[in-house]
Amino acid sequence: MNTERKGKKRRGVEQVQARWGWYFVIPAIVFFSIFSFYPIINAFTLSFFKKNMISPIPPRFIGLENYIYVLQSSDFWNSVRATLTFTLGTFIPLVIASLVIALLITLQGRNFRLWQLLYYSPAVLSSAVAALIWMLIFTPTGIANQFVNTLRNTSGMDMRWLSSGEMVQISTMIVYFWKYIGYFTVLYITGITKIPAVIYEAATIDGASRSQAFFKITLPLLKPTTALVSIVAMLQCLKTFSTQFLFTQSGAPKAPINVITLNIYNTALKDYNVGRASVMSILLFVTMLILTIIQLKVSRSDDVTY
Amino acid sequence: MMSKAISPGASKLQFSLGIDIIIRILLLLFAVIILVPLVFMVTASFMPSSEITHMPYRWIPSRIAWNNFYRALAGNDGSFVYIRNILNSLFVSVTVAFTTVILSSITGYSLAKFNFKGKHIVFMGIMMTMMIPFETIMVPMYMVALKLGMQNSYQGLIVPFMMNAFGVFLMRQYLQTFPKDIMDAARIDGCSEPKIFRSIVFVNSGPAIASLAILTFRQQWDNLMWPLMIAQDKKFKTIPTYIVSFAEEKLSDEGAMMAAALIASIPVIIMFLTLSKYFVGGSSVYSSGKE
Amino acid sequence: MKKLLGLVLAVAALSAPLFANGSQDSAASAEKKPVTLTLWTHEDPNRQKMEEQFAAEYMAQNPHVTIKYSVFPSTKIQDLISSAYAAKNAPSIWNLELQKAYPLYTAGLVAPIPVQALGFKNEQALIDTYLPGMLDPVTDKDGKLFGKKGKIYGLPLEMVNFCIYLNKKIFRDAGLDPDKDYPKTWEDVMAVSEKIVKRNGDIITRRGFDFRYGDYLISWVPMVEQLGGKVVSDDGKEAIVNTQAWIKALQFMQDWGPNGKNLGGPTYPVARKVFDNNKDEIAMHLSGLYQEARMKTSNPDFYNSKDWMVIPYPVFKGGKDIANTYYFQYYMVNSQIPENEQVEAWKFVAYMLSHGDMYLEKVALTQPTKKVFEGEVFKSMPYSNVFYNDLKRAHVVYHSSFSWRVNELIKEAIENVMMNKVAPADAVAKLKKDVQALVDENR
Repeated sequence: MNTERKGKKRRGVEQVQARWGWYFVIPAIVFFSIFSFYPIINAFTLSFFKKNMISPIPPRFIGLENYIYVLQSSDFWNSVRATLTFTLGTFIPLVIASLVIALLITLQGRNFRLWQLLYYSPAVLSSAVAALIWMLIFTPTGIANQFVNTLRNTSGMDMRWLSSGEMVQISTMIVYFWKYIGYFTVLYITGITKIPAVIYEAATIDGASRSQAFFKITLPLLKPTTALVSIVAMLQCLKTFSTQFLFTQSGAPKAPINVITLNIYNTALKDYNVGRASVMSILLFVTMLILTIIQLKVSRSDDVTY
Repeated sequence: MMSKAISPGASKLQFSLGIDIIIRILLLLFAVIILVPLVFMVTASFMPSSEITHMPYRWIPSRIAWNNFYRALAGNDGSFVYIRNILNSLFVSVTVAFTTVILSSITGYSLAKFNFKGKHIVFMGIMMTMMIPFETIMVPMYMVALKLGMQNSYQGLIVPFMMNAFGVFLMRQYLQTFPKDIMDAARIDGCSEPKIFRSIVFVNSGPAIASLAILTFRQQWDNLMWPLMIAQDKKFKTIPTYIVSFAEEKLSDEGAMMAAALIASIPVIIMFLTLSKYFVGGSSVYSSGKE
Repeated sequence: MKKLLGLVLAVAALSAPLFANGSQDSAASAEKKPVTLTLWTHEDPNRQKMEEQFAAEYMAQNPHVTIKYSVFPSTKIQDLISSAYAAKNAPSIWNLELQKAYPLYTAGLVAPIPVQALGFKNEQALIDTYLPGMLDPVTDKDGKLFGKKGKIYGLPLEMVNFCIYLNKKIFRDAGLDPDKDYPKTWEDVMAVSEKIVKRNGDIITRRGFDFRYGDYLISWVPMVEQLGGKVVSDDGKEAIVNTQAWIKALQFMQDWGPNGKNLGGPTYPVARKVFDNNKDEIAMHLSGLYQEARMKTSNPDFYNSKDWMVIPYPVFKGGKDIANTYYFQYYMVNSQIPENEQVEAWKFVAYMLSHGDMYLEKVALTQPTKKVFEGEVFKSMPYSNVFYNDLKRAHVVYHSSFSWRVNELIKEAIENVMMNKVAPADAVAKLKKDVQALVDENR
């Protein structure tokens, strides 16, 4: 009798809570439906149609024709290559370096704000501004060449930062890394400082050494943050657009850095071929989805609670 | 009570001074490398343009070219429209940061701490929006905004960005480890759910809120394509538009360009400086006790 | 009854003058409906000032018209206009380069010019006010496009052809006499540049000539045509005609670039901007008549010193005498707006463009009208005769719905041979394959 009533009460409380859970997410659902889901569905359905963006002629259903074309086009696969090269070359160093820096900052224990400010400062520049600065730096008479020349003790050697196919890819990675290192360091520091001191206190009372505290407490408790950082970093890199866009607009060679988003943009806004652009969007989306699910599974499997 | 767990006083673990110094040197070295382009921007903005492309780059200007700043502010047509752009960008970015923080934390809180049917679907749905690059949905989003009559207005600049999936994700991750007992205790005391969120959860999520605010502000500050599409009237234009127009016209006036870049960056730096004190609340146990 | 009849007659008599204009009466009453026109154009502070003035004048003369003038960065305006069309929200009036406007024109998004409303008897009368062929790219001559034979769909804001600007001082500094030793062939250009170029190791600090990288269809394709090549055959079927010509032209670029004689390249600062600074960085570059106004504003001392000159577009030894292609900026009117607005829009455009001499004098934009080319302002601009003469041996730039892709492919080919040591023959083979695919797809 008593337990039954208690059970009912618990369920009632849970129901109330569940309702509140819903209330809290309704604004998000409404917002995302209007500004994300609807445009996405719109963009995606067009992958099965032939539609010229500017032409008033209505879309014509052509089934999988767009998909076949794209999957057979060397231009598309070049974009895949460019995107993957860029992502791997950027997100892995980003995640590792930002973790290391965040740890170093917390380890030496002082002037958190100052250090974070220093590392984060590149991020305060807008992409347009950053591109301007880096283009001046990478110009043949710019300081990038001067720096390399000093290092190698040569003179007048042009690394061709923005003209050679290989170098321009490296240049975009450098710019991106530079811009976002502070961003992810800040995220890591937030995660680190969230770890309550009581845990460390308990550990020291138990006689744990510093490195034990680090490996057994800090790292595992950073898992949510690491998951956050690596997923976001990876997605950001796969979605990269403005650096490549601004570089190619100023004359850098397009093929080496024709990442998928740039290809989508040009296919829609210059070829006006919305169907094909949508195909590439879907393929990009599916790739990101798969990679994210993999990462989430990996991080959830060792979820730590205390 | 809460603060003890989050900002501890005790410092039990400490490295020897030597290692601390090595760490600081490493950090400094790396920071210097990162800062070089910024220093370049600052020094170049004070230099006459001809000196900037001179080889080798002389880091110190031969004379201070205040003119650069004047030209940057005056703009292509001498109308000082840049100042209006700065104000617009500030207003939009601050508003967006504000709405994002509030909406993302409510949503993240719900996804982290509540159980309801379909929660996972909602979460996955929101996460999926993070996987769509803006450029892909740019045109359909534009059509939606037009249908809602948001053209050429502040709503048009703000509303489509008043929330984002990353913010939700960040707050959810952060709040997942928020102690449940405190919330339950408040519930037993008869607190309503909104009150719990407001007075307990939100106020104690300082670091995450500060990070989110800064990151969102910066992202919105950077937004080039959307304001360009939605706002034709020059009184609504934002800074990135100005930078691009200015750079196109004045490509050989590097000094003025760098001056414009510098001016455009100051508000974000200030914002970061003012908000960053909320990070310090969580200095870890590795600290030597001083800030 | 009689009173009523009298009243009706009186009203009829009094209102007769209102209908006196006969067939134009519906047009007249339609014209007077309040109309708001939006105009989107790219950044150009001097032109903006002048055109906003025109707008104010037009609005004063036509109180039922409101004109909203908006400017956008030139690299973005094409995307904005096309997005606006996609959202059925395009401006009433806009202007774009021919190559960018062309797909919009062929998609039927542009309104024909109501020549009679502008005061011309027929289309031919309008065409006659321009230099020969200047309206051809936007005239539906045989009615194949839209079934309206002979209708014209754009008016040129500007027509540009490039010649070479030359810095006399640098020539003298290199031991050359600018008036005698200026290059007449591309081989000369190379030889002269070799004499002028100064380097710091590999890095060039002073260039002789350098190309206008990016606008390959406009300023590089003529070199190929001089050698006998073509982008697309006249019947529209074959791409990259006469591969030998293309290979030779690409070889020239390879010899020019960092892997050849290292005389210049696409990653150096843009030639036309550097030239104006007159800081001993570049001796020659390609640009249009409009560049003079820019020189005047950015470096009046240099401009007034007259230590510069303009020479005709060089020709390969033994090549066809073809000068740089010319291209246009056209003003066009949105066909998706109501017809009375279209008429009003075109009237306003015509009003603005009627001030040909002002455009030339204040903004250095050359409209290809007979009036401008034979006018005093044009004649008073230094070396305008060089541009005019070159115009006579030139033709319009290649334009099609996919010409931007062709430009990109050419860019890739040129960059591959210059930067990545690809053999010209291979680059041409790939170029031909890719452009042919585009041609086939779009036929």
